[in-house]
Formats: sequence, structure tokens, C-alpha cells
Amino acid sequence: MANNVLINSVDHQNLKVNTEYSEKYGDNVWYALTFPAEFRSAQAYYPIFFNKDASTGQFCPVTLFGFQDKENLFLSDNKWNAPYVPMSVARQPFLIGVQKINEDGQDKEQRVLHIDLDHPRVNQETGEALFLEFGGNTAYLDTAADMLETLHHGIIDNKSFVDTLIEHDLLEPFTLDIVLNDNSNNQMVGFYTINEDKLNELDAQTLANLHNKGFLQAIYMTIASQSNIRGLMNIKNEQLGL
Amino acid sequence: MNNPIKKIVIVGGGSAGWLTAGVLAAEHITAANSSIEITLIESADVAPIGVGEGTWPSMRSTLKKMGVSETEFLLACDASFKQGSKFSHWQSNTNEHYYHPFMLPHGFNEVNLAPFWQPFRDKISFADAVCQQSHLGYQGLAPKQISTAEYAFSANYGYHLDAGKFSKFLQNHCTKNLNVKHIIDHVIQVKSDESGDIASVTTKEYGDITGDLFIDCTGSASILLAKHFKVPFISKKHILFNDSALAVHVPYENENSPIASFTCSTAQTAGWIWDIGLPSRRGVGHTYSSGHITDENAEKELREYITPAMGKQAAESVAIRKISIDPGHREKLWHKNCVAVGMAAGFIEPLEASALVLVELSAKMISEQLPKNRQTMDIIAKRFNTKFLHRWQNILDFLKLHYALSKREDSSYWFDNREENTLSDNLKEQLALWKYQFPYKYDAIHTEEMFPPASFQYILYGMGFVTEQSSNLRPTQAMEAERFFNENMARSKQLLSRSPTNRDLIAKIKKYGLPKI
Repeated sequence: MANNVLINSVDHQNLKVNTEYSEKYGDNVWYALTFPAEFRSAQAYYPIFFNKDASTGQFCPVTLFGFQDKENLFLSDNKWNAPYVPMSVARQPFLIGVQKINEDGQDKEQRVLHIDLDHPRVNQETGEALFLEFGGNTAYLDTAADMLETLHHGIIDNKSFVDTLIEHDLLEPFTLDIVLNDNSNNQMVGFYTINEDKLNELDAQTLANLHNKGFLQAIYMTIASQSNIRGLMNIKNEQLGL
Repeated sequence: MNNPIKKIVIVGGGSAGWLTAGVLAAEHITAANSSIEITLIESADVAPIGVGEGTWPSMRSTLKKMGVSETEFLLACDASFKQGSKFSHWQSNTNEHYYHPFMLPHGFNEVNLAPFWQPFRDKISFADAVCQQSHLGYQGLAPKQISTAEYAFSANYGYHLDAGKFSKFLQNHCTKNLNVKHIIDHVIQVKSDESGDIASVTTKEYGDITGDLFIDCTGSASILLAKHFKVPFISKKHILFNDSALAVHVPYENENSPIASFTCSTAQTAGWIWDIGLPSRRGVGHTYSSGHITDENAEKELREYITPAMGKQAAESVAIRKISIDPGHREKLWHKNCVAVGMAAGFIEPLEASALVLVELSAKMISEQLPKNRQTMDIIAKRFNTKFLHRWQNILDFLKLHYALSKREDSSYWFDNREENTLSDNLKEQLALWKYQFPYKYDAIHTEEMFPPASFQYILYGMGFVTEQSSNLRPTQAMEAERFFNENMARSKQLLSRSPTNRDLIAKIKKYGLPKI
């Protein structure tokens, strides 16, 4: 169970966060949430698809790391073997909390940085410290805070991105055939991608609107990212010695 | 006589009128080069009767074809998911019950599981052995998840809905999105042309409204087919005795009370009580035979039924609405250029929720077979009559089957229901055959039968009917059957672990909506 608390320099002066990547830290995920502002970095290494959040039924873009549950082909030797780690993974064990404050007599909600004290990364011995010896945030903590702020806006952005895609019928389900070097054939279902036929039919006005919102670029980066499936299969073949 | 059919006039709103308008409009008006015009005339003076709160799974495709968003429909019509019917105390009044789910038995197209289940009839109910849906029923679980697309499912379903809200919702959809013309006025006269066809209906404010095809959706008043054309009524009261109903709204204990996913039908001394769970309330009613019980006693049984949910005081004071049922249908349903849909065509007790599905099927055939001109209309009319009179016979026999199999002995109602002369020849024949043969695919004589052979199985074996077993079951089939039984158990377990409750799912739909794909 998560034990999320507001970070403060008194109670958490000596906390450290292990920044290695490994199954024991729960990094063996086969996909993770992403968002348009991250697409440029993510599409260089991962296929970007869409799937539905099981608890809300809402679509969100995800970066794919494997072909089945608990398979992350980028994990080995306590390392993540790609130059860029998506923020929804890299943010661990931090998360955003909401704090009610009173500003000029008005109740407001403010986003604050929380940490999950029960996360296996959190310890007192190894990894990155949160606070400097005599108080003050470490660069590591400031980076984590920035990352969560970006992630927060990314999730908001996802909603209007996905709504726009659905409005124009641009999402379609697909089945991915994974044929490995031993000719074994597996299918992956449950993911959605851009319907290119529908995209090609859009009129100039709609394209201009998509462009103005920054979504046109995101759409094309999603399509381009599909070439990374080949890379994932290569790793899989290699791991299986095929 | 070679006049093209261009102007369709529907007289009467309510679920029947608006469903028919929607089905026709979605197919004919939205077509780019269509010259068809649909007008619905609805009287402000006549309130729709507002019964028919349970649908079949067919309603999903009906709504989808009309371009309705399922999320909007569910929320606007106070609707929830119906996965079939649960019959209590029908067999012998000993607290027993059984399910008639919407899903077919597992592997139905490959093997008839009934003969392989029967040796184990004391250990497991037929529905539980062959189908996943009764398992969901026990726990009030929903047939889909929040991530399941609109109209898609993990277990087949229809709806429980608020009939009044449903008419309003369809009206809005038809007039705003499907170009149906809506006239609120009272029809005071019907004018014929020289051939005897209806030329126009005269309204109080808007005068004469002409049309090529008139659809009578005026409910039991049946002002076109019955009043104008004098098409006789065929009473079926000698087969299905129930001619009265008492209806009441029952509130939930609190906003988290479970919503039942099956229509509950509980047999009484001279009828049965329906119980339909909507998100905001339950709709409960007692339908009974006035020849077998007084209105007062029927009311007493109803108030007793709702007492556990409402408490004695509220149950005894809550307002009850009386509805009269004239069981039966018109001698024909399409006459000249007029076809009746809904209660204008006929009405029968709601035991298997056949009212709305008949509307859908009628609208579908009128729409798909819409005569191009007046000449071909008579041919279509003849076929329509043949098909729907067969369907009426189907419904009557299937409903009667529930009574014919009962072993209740607590009143003359149940004895009378089993009298030979109250069973049709067809039903007698079926029962004679099923004594020695398990119903299966050959029991569907026509295409698009109202009730598939699987439904016969659910009712027969749910009611404790025994088919005499021959010993020559093929071992290869036995192995296959065992595989399907095991698979059904495994799938039921899986489904139970991931299905939300109806209540939770409705709450999530309110918050997020169902995904379109």
C-alpha cells in the first residue's frame, strides 16, 4: 500500500531515492502513460499507442515497452536501456498532492509534492538525497518537482487531445502480430492507434485547427513511432536467443 | 395506384410512435437523396401509458442504428442494464427461483448441452451450468465495464428504463437529429379516398394532414386500425388470463442500494409481480386475472411485496396506479395504407417484456420493406401480417409455457392455467415432443423467431421439466459437453472478478461516459 506524505525538509532530511531501474522497484511495466509534450522525446525509442484506463474507460496515449503484462524489454542489469525514460515512470516515488490554502481570504487548492514512503526506492542509505546537508532542495528534488508539474499539465492536455481524436474518428483498434525469429506468432490486442484513412480525409480547416492546438504534430509523431515496434521485436528475439 | 410512397404519417407519440419514427427516419431521411418525409402527430391531451420498462438486447442495435449515444440514452432515460428475467415461486411456491438470461448457453451452436446437464439437475441449475449470466445475477453485477465501448458487452444485455423519459428522449433525438416533423395536435377525423385508403387525418389546429402511409401508434385507442377501419380484435384472455395491473414506484433505501440486473418476476396467487430496477427507483407492479382475485386482494399482495423495502407504513400508503389490460391483438395489423404498431396492434401482460421488442421489429420491417409505391404495399402488408401474426402466436405460446409448467396448487388460477383447452395446439404439440426430445435448433421453425430454442430450454429446465433421457448419448459429444461446462465455469469466475456492480458502473458512466470505441 502506498504511504503518501507531503515532503518536508525536517522529517525527510535523510531520505534517499534509489534511481536504478529494476523489477524490484516495480519498473517491469509493459506500457506507461505519456502525453503530447513528451512525444518528441518518447517517439525516438518507443511505439506510442492509446489504451483505455480500466477504472475510467478514458483513452490515454501510452509508450509501449513490451508485448505482454510485466514485460519491459528495456530493463536489464538495474538499468533502463534507452536514453529517455518516460516521465510517468521516472517520477517514481514522487506524486502530486493537493493542499488547501487560504490566500487573501480565499480558499484555494495548491499542488504540492508528495512522496510514497513505502515505495521500495525510498531508503536512508543509497541513491539521491532530497535535501542538502544544511537544508535546501537538492537539484534532484527540484527536477522531480518540475517533472511532476509537466506531467500534471500533460494529463490535462491528454484529455483535450484524446477528445479531439475521438471527435474526428481518428482512433481505431488494431491487432499487432508479433512474429519472432522462430516464426512463433502472438497477437497483442486492446490498443488503439491513429486511423490514417480518416486522417487523410480531413479538410483543410480541421487540419488547421489540429495544427493550432499542437495536435497535428503529435498525431504524426504517433504514427512515426510505430517503427519502434521493430526495435522491440529485435530486443525480444535477442533475449530469447533467437 | 402507382403513387410513390413519400409521406409517412405516424399518429401517436409514446415509445411506439417515437421508436418507429426514429427507425424509419434513420434509414430513409438521412439518406442523401431521400424524398421521404415523416410526420408524427401527437395529442397533447393523451398521456402515454408509460409501461414497458424492460427491453430486449435488440434495443441496443435499434438505438445504435438511430445514431443515439448510449451514454446520453442511459443518463436521460434513468436506464440500467437488464440481463434477463429471474422467476421466483413459479414452479411450486417453495421459495425457489430460476433465471432466463439473455446469453445463449455456452457452445450452443456446437452441442446441445441440455441432455448432458440433466443427469446433474439436482446439483446445479441449468442456467448456472451452461451460462455465465446467472452468476452475475446473484451478485447484481453489470454486463460490461467502464472501458467497454458503447453498446459492446461482456454479457449480452438490454435495458430497464423510464418509459416516460424514453419517449421524451426519442422525441428530442428524432426532431433535432433525424428531421422528423412533430405536430402537437388532436386528430378529430379520418378522411378516406375513393379506394378506401386513408387520404388524410384532420387535426384540430393544423387541419388536414395528408399521407401515403399512416402508422397507428395511438395505443389501445387504435383510432386508425380499430376505430376507422373496424379491424376486429382477437381476445386471448382465454389463454392468458391477466387483464389487470397495479403499478407503483418504490424508492431505494439509499443511493448506494444495489440495482438488480434482471427483471424479477414473482408468482402470486392469481398473477405475478414484476420488479424492475432503475438507477433512481424500482418500478413494481402486480398483473393478475380479475376473474380469479379481487382488486383489493391483488392490491394487498402488492403492498405486502413492497413492505420489506419501504416499511409497513409507507407500503400501505403509497399511491398505486391501476391499468387495464385487454390481452390480445387485432385480426390483422396492416390494412390498406395503415399499419398499427405498439398497443394499437395488441397488448399482452409484460411477462417476457415483449411490448417494446415488437415495436422495434415492426418498425424494422416497415422500414426495410418500405413499399416504393401503393401497388406493392398490399404485398408487403400481406407478408407483414403473416409474419407478425406468427409472432403474436409465438409470444402467446411462450408466455403460456411459464404457466403450463407450474405445479402451484394454491388457487384455481394455477389449475385453470393448466387446463388443456387453454393451451394452443402448437404448445400442446411442443410439450408432447419435449417430453422425449430436448429442444434444440429444429425448434426454430421460422427465421427470426421471437424466442430462440435456447429460451425454451431455460424455461423448461428452470421450471423443473424433465425430458425422458435416451441412453445413447454419443461419447464424443459428452467430452465436448464437459469441455463447455468447464469452460463456462472458468469464464463465469473470470467475469465475476472483473465486473463492477450495476450501481458502480452507472456512477462511473455519469462521471466519465462510456467510450465510443
